[in-house]
Amino acid sequence: MTTPEVAESRRNANSLMRHLPALRKTVGLVLLAALAFAFLVPILWMTVMSFQEGGKMFNLRTEWIPAVWHFENYPNAISRAPFVQYFINSGIVSVTVMAGNVVFCTLAGYGLAKFHFRGSGLVLLLILSTLMLPLEVTLVPTFLIVHKFEWINTYQGIVAPLLIDAFGVFLMRQSIISIPSDYIEAARIDGAGELRILLQIIVPQCLPALSVLAIFSFRDSWDQFLWPLTVVSIDRLRTYPLGLVQFGEEYGNPATEQMAIAVLATLPVFLLFMILQRSINRGFGLSGLK
Amino acid sequence: MKKSALGIPSRRDVVRSIGVAGLGAAVSVPIARRAFAQTKKPVDISFWTFDNPQQRPWVHKRVKMFMVQNPHVKIDFQWFAFGDLGKKISVGFATGTAPDGFVSQDWFMPVWLDKGLLAPLDVKQLGYDNFTAFTGDFAKAFVDGATKDGKVYGYPMWFYGYCNYLNAKQFKEVGLNVEKDWPQNWDQLGEVAKRMTVKDGDKFVRQGFKFAMHSSQWTMIQYNPILLQSGGKWFDDSGKCTINNEAGIKAMTIRASIAQKYGAEDPADSIATNPIPGMDFLKERASMFFCHPLPTSLVKAENPAMEAENYFRPVQYPGVQTGKGFSTTYGFNLVINGKASAEKQEALHDLYKFMMSDLVDAWKDAAPFTFAKKTGWADNPEVQKFPYVNEIIRAKDEGVFLPRSLVFNELADSMHRAVQKVMLSKADIKKTLDEAAAEVDRATAAYKKA
Amino acid sequence: MVELTSSEPYQHGGLTGPPPVARRFWQIHHRQRIRLWGIAFVLPTLMFFAVFKYGPMMWAIELSFNSYDMVSTPYFVGLDNYRSLAADPIFRETLINTFVYIAGSTILTTVIGLSLALAINTGIPGARHCMTAMFLTNLMPIIAVCLVWRFLLHPYGLVNQILQPLGFGRIDWLTSSSTAMPAIIMVTVWRFAPYFMVIFLAALLALPEDYYEAAELDGAGAIRRFIHITLPLLMPTIFFVVVVSALLCARIFLMPYLITGGGPGNATRVLSMLIYETGFSYLKMGQAAAISVVLFTIMMVFTALQIRLFARSEQVYM
Repeated sequence: MTTPEVAESRRNANSLMRHLPALRKTVGLVLLAALAFAFLVPILWMTVMSFQEGGKMFNLRTEWIPAVWHFENYPNAISRAPFVQYFINSGIVSVTVMAGNVVFCTLAGYGLAKFHFRGSGLVLLLILSTLMLPLEVTLVPTFLIVHKFEWINTYQGIVAPLLIDAFGVFLMRQSIISIPSDYIEAARIDGAGELRILLQIIVPQCLPALSVLAIFSFRDSWDQFLWPLTVVSIDRLRTYPLGLVQFGEEYGNPATEQMAIAVLATLPVFLLFMILQRSINRGFGLSGLK
Repeated sequence: MKKSALGIPSRRDVVRSIGVAGLGAAVSVPIARRAFAQTKKPVDISFWTFDNPQQRPWVHKRVKMFMVQNPHVKIDFQWFAFGDLGKKISVGFATGTAPDGFVSQDWFMPVWLDKGLLAPLDVKQLGYDNFTAFTGDFAKAFVDGATKDGKVYGYPMWFYGYCNYLNAKQFKEVGLNVEKDWPQNWDQLGEVAKRMTVKDGDKFVRQGFKFAMHSSQWTMIQYNPILLQSGGKWFDDSGKCTINNEAGIKAMTIRASIAQKYGAEDPADSIATNPIPGMDFLKERASMFFCHPLPTSLVKAENPAMEAENYFRPVQYPGVQTGKGFSTTYGFNLVINGKASAEKQEALHDLYKFMMSDLVDAWKDAAPFTFAKKTGWADNPEVQKFPYVNEIIRAKDEGVFLPRSLVFNELADSMHRAVQKVMLSKADIKKTLDEAAAEVDRATAAYKKA
Repeated sequence: MVELTSSEPYQHGGLTGPPPVARRFWQIHHRQRIRLWGIAFVLPTLMFFAVFKYGPMMWAIELSFNSYDMVSTPYFVGLDNYRSLAADPIFRETLINTFVYIAGSTILTTVIGLSLALAINTGIPGARHCMTAMFLTNLMPIIAVCLVWRFLLHPYGLVNQILQPLGFGRIDWLTSSSTAMPAIIMVTVWRFAPYFMVIFLAALLALPEDYYEAAELDGAGAIRRFIHITLPLLMPTIFFVVVVSALLCARIFLMPYLITGGGPGNATRVLSMLIYETGFSYLKMGQAAAISVVLFTIMMVFTALQIRLFARSEQVYM
């Protein structure tokens, strides 16, 4: 029910809208870009500093464009400790954890989403509860368990407690719940085995969620510090966070070289994100975004 | 030691190295013993130490040399950040994966000893005739921390005292003479610091003096002498923490005076992040700084001019009374895990003896970190040619030890918090110290119960 | 394979299957078999959690009633650990700090995340790229985040350099007890808001158009539309964001540990740090276990409250 006044104001509004869309959109974009830039400033600062000479780190005025680019910070930093080995170790651990999460969270998520056995609600709650226990207290018992498997100072030992994350189970469950059950039923009637159904129907339909799971499980294991610190006591199995923190604790290491290692550490996660980006966007439900 | 293209020492090198090392050890090691050792069955030992760019490579070098001379011994050598070593070893003991031998920071000795985790050392295997000969090779305070009930549990290695490092060039700038005007008591420290301070409005361009505030261990090391000089004690005879009595308040007031009374320090402003605590001093933004002996390579890395012109100068810690200054002496012991098998313990004894047999070599690699041992290095010309080395040795010899307490970590953390509250939040000194003492007493009570 | 009781062969397609009796029997087995598959899918994960989560959790609860210094055998002390916690001012301060941190970070992250999502959702071309750029902060390795921010928050660091021309004096972010916790919260929000922005954005995109069209026809302004349509429809998402954010914040360890070390004084000490110090620095694993049981209980209670509140708010708005 529209009154003449409302109709009038809407006509005026419409005419304004006709003239201002371009201006409005430009101003909006500028503001958004400024906001994005503000968020990125620390990352940019880190990158700029990684090319600066050590003393510049503590200048009272930041030099945003280096007068002298010190590319040698990177090879210098890497040579101060076996960072190549550290990064390889981190890579092995993170890829394995990512794969483990992808496989087992999908299985468990599917089982909880589409199979109604007695106690599935309780199982869901049990899995939720694991999110509430911080690592710091389970550190020693987890270490003891890993020790019992004789996995101290092995890749399996670092990977083991990280292999499945409850958050991933929820994510996959949410995603799989929305798959119409008719497909599955039809396939069963057609005689397809459960594993076939999983691989040929479920997985393709939840690839976006899998991408989200992949990037986050990779990032979480890439970030791990406390657990590798506890379970690794030989140098050739250290992951890069241990090396990076120890790097800053040695006399004579320029802080800018520490920034160089930090930049190198950031690259793989960003790269994985770029590769999976389209799928991740869909996984988040952002395909409607222009 | 020269290596062949494959990185394996040639036979000639091995023989030569045996000769060099043997010369140092031959005085106390009967040759027959070495021959006997070589017919023994293979031994695998693990050895952990703390990380330091000068000290760790030298220890590693000695370990490698030892393995060459004793092919039946294989040593897995690992190192950890200074602050992490204690924790790694604790977790190791908790899970049965502790190393067979390791370097222990001396303030942890009471805990290891109280829990019976260390094996007693056989001083004969280390090259001493008997217990008295061993203890005679060290000042009493060093072995107090390593012996219990007439048995030796640690072989004191590196021990050093803190010095007050001065920027001699800046001293000259303000018209002071380092030889005559170095601060001998705390008031003088404040005055000199005030003169050296340069400000731009409210901002400090140069602080006259700087206390390191980044770690609880440094806090303890710096505060320990102030408390003792003021007539205070960490604990009284019944075990109660007494940092909050009159002497304790005096000590904290002194600690705060440089910043609060003389306006020569800015506790919140530090370009140092843990643990490059001397950064402000090395970058000449602070004129004086308490520190362990500074290696020239470190100074050179941060400030080549300072190293080249040698204007960083250690002097003794100031005292409450003129001429009565002393600093903290702290260090590291070589110890053996009580659960290590007999063969491993024997191999470790040999290793430790070998390591400590050529301290001049250690000095060459890791100067000016000093040793607890009296003999075998201090008079050597190599050592003596290091600038101001006798100041550094004196700081070690005349220093006092950190409280050897079963709750050292809790004590250190409480003190650290107290200093932060007083310096950064301008809290009331008495109230803060009362809180800290209460925390420590609680920790002591909890430990006693357990 | 199940034995068929009928001699008629089962035909593909199911339409001309076995006679009714046999089919029911087969179907029962079929359903059971499917259920078993479901259990089989979930079982590896459950077993994994049993070994690596529940086992340690049970061990921790049991340990909280013991005294354990990591090198001797544990021995029973009943409620002593909990009693000494209740009497410990540091524990109380840490508890308060943790609540302040969770509340501050969660509220700010939710509000800012939602605002960012609304800003991106304005249909401006290029907004998606801005969103991607902001999301990068959530991917940056946490160690790098801590190291960089420690430098940025120095009294003469970048943050103060920017604030100074705006008239602010020098702020000792990490060394003043009044600004240390806000600084940590700020870093937390910087890292997590973009992630929740994406979650909110997805929810906004999924909102049905009809409500908005109807409201516009009725002359409702943008703000009224937001309050009466968007917010209620977003309630489930807001609930999700608040719960997840609170859970993440309760577990936070590295940020305060690497940036301020719990200082100055006790200003930024949070429960997870206290657990780590009590267990690994002071070798009091029993007490550390007690603290983590407390933390775990808080989170359980908090989540339960959330669910209760959400159910009630659903009734109000729907």
